[in-house]
Amino acid sequence: MDPSGIFPTSYRTDRRVVRTRWQAIALALFMVLMLAAPYLASGRIIAVLNMMMISAVIAVGLQICTGYAGQINLGQAAFMGVGAYTASILASKTGLTFLLTIPLAGFSAALFGFLFGLTAARIKGFYLALTTIAAQFIFHFAVLNLPSTWMGGSNGITVPPAELFGLRFVGETSQFYMNLVVASIMIAGAFGIVRSRFGRAFVAVRDDDVAAGIMGINVAATKANAFLIGAFYAGVGGALWAYLIRFVGVDQFTLFNSIFFVAMIIVGGMGSIVGALVGVFIIRLIQEIIATVGPNIAESVSFLGGDIVFAGMNVILGGVIALFMILEPKGLMHRWNILKSSYRIWPFPY
Amino acid sequence: MVYFINDIITGALIGLLYSLVAMGFVVIYRASKVFNFAQGELVIIGGFIVWYTTMEVELSLWLSIPLSLVLAGIVGYLIERIFLTKLIGESVFSMVMVTVGLLILLRGVVLLLFGPAVRPFPIIFPLKPLFLGDMLIPMNLLIGGIITIVAAVGLSWFFNRTRSGLRMTAVAEDHVVASSMGISVKGSIAFAWVLGAILSTIGAMIFLSGKSLTFLASDIGFAALPVALFAGLESIGGLILAGVIIGIAQSLTTNYLDPLIGGSLGSVVPYIIMLAILLIRPTGLFGWRAIERV
Repeated sequence: MDPSGIFPTSYRTDRRVVRTRWQAIALALFMVLMLAAPYLASGRIIAVLNMMMISAVIAVGLQICTGYAGQINLGQAAFMGVGAYTASILASKTGLTFLLTIPLAGFSAALFGFLFGLTAARIKGFYLALTTIAAQFIFHFAVLNLPSTWMGGSNGITVPPAELFGLRFVGETSQFYMNLVVASIMIAGAFGIVRSRFGRAFVAVRDDDVAAGIMGINVAATKANAFLIGAFYAGVGGALWAYLIRFVGVDQFTLFNSIFFVAMIIVGGMGSIVGALVGVFIIRLIQEIIATVGPNIAESVSFLGGDIVFAGMNVILGGVIALFMILEPKGLMHRWNILKSSYRIWPFPY
Repeated sequence: MVYFINDIITGALIGLLYSLVAMGFVVIYRASKVFNFAQGELVIIGGFIVWYTTMEVELSLWLSIPLSLVLAGIVGYLIERIFLTKLIGESVFSMVMVTVGLLILLRGVVLLLFGPAVRPFPIIFPLKPLFLGDMLIPMNLLIGGIITIVAAVGLSWFFNRTRSGLRMTAVAEDHVVASSMGISVKGSIAFAWVLGAILSTIGAMIFLSGKSLTFLASDIGFAALPVALFAGLESIGGLILAGVIIGIAQSLTTNYLDPLIGGSLGSVVPYIIMLAILLIRPTGLFGWRAIERV
């Protein structure tokens, strides 16, 4: 709901993403802060922000696939892995610039995702979720069992640093800007996709696929498209990940990572791009806190060793998913929207 | 030739073990319409309960096995009370996501309680394999196969012939309709989880007998998933056939195809079969026809 005094007079203004002057100011401030972050914050925070931006790209893709189009996807980490492997193979074998490898990583992941999305023509609901789990297993199998000269097998692949005009993107700060640019483009694109014809088709299919079909939407194609777009985002995120870590291995893209991404959009709120970003922020923050606090706890309960971080992360994330599904299935964005509309109509109660 | 037959028999018996674990999926689905992704985690929880009662408390097997089954049932009941009762009437998506959350929650809890250490699992079934001529059949799998078949026949009869079994079938059909017919949806779901946890514990005993126990044993849950889908999620009797087919396919691939290509195709074969069956016949071999299609 818009605040009083803001009313669209044309379709163009009605479709705006930034609707009020304050939103524009807040967005500008946020971008300025992000641009200045490497000069304001310590290296540790920049490293965390890098992880958050990469996760944001992937979670936004999952949000389009699951939150907007309603297709449960438990294979996002596999799609991310396809992108990461594509980027690292292209970069290490052919020496292509990252300006090309990142989009190509997106396209190859999109193709892989589309193949699994095609099964949506036959099945739906959680049966579809099972085929995405199969994607996860098949990805692992392919990497580990194809000849190791192709995909590195269990040794993984070392990735050369990204380079542009003789400038090497090594170190957290320069990668921070690379991630910031790519993430901004991808997230802006997501806002465009969800209010386009495709995005409206996604929402229609999510809400009732029979009704959507009657209205002339090609339901199966729309679902496959949702997987295609979601996997494209995962692939781009995977390529960024490859350039950040400079090493890809199959253990980085497991079913557990997929569940982490699902947790992000559940916490933030389904069906909202901003929600995905909020979820990424919260989940990555929790992860960071556990990684910092965990070793101290591990010293006092020594029999667990280093696994306490992994175990604690699982307990908290699993608990968060279950609690949100039971208590707040619409996520934090829902609460925020209630708060927003109540202050906009203040002092009236409704 | 002898080796070939031996591979087939061993494969079929491993397939029956998958069937038993998959029975946990199917029983929970048959009585509550919830697909439980955390089945593998129930198996390791069962395994740790058995390990704890026999190795730590040092009860005799005759005492510890019934006690473990009771404890596993209580764990299943608690999980259902805490997480799933509150979701009756919610969308399939919520239910599925809660069990996905349970998957990592339970794994984390097991890690926190027992740590990552490798532990010896009690020898429940005789270690000595059965020799049939030149063939060698693992004893635990053989007894496990018999238990599986007995359990499948019994549960199949229960769900298809008895009054309380049919009530649960109604719950799997539709929560709202079932409760308006006076059927206790809560009771049905609780029963399903107790039964699912007990079956998983039996599965853990057969699977782990005389081996070592870590939290990684939960992978059996995902290995059994294709069996459940191949049979169709509603059919308990069909699990036997599906398990045997998938077990033999896997065993033959591992023994004859993998040396040729130098990889472990065997571990993926069940998933390839699962994808194929989902595309060709989404209801599985014996599932109900009512699956919504696009």
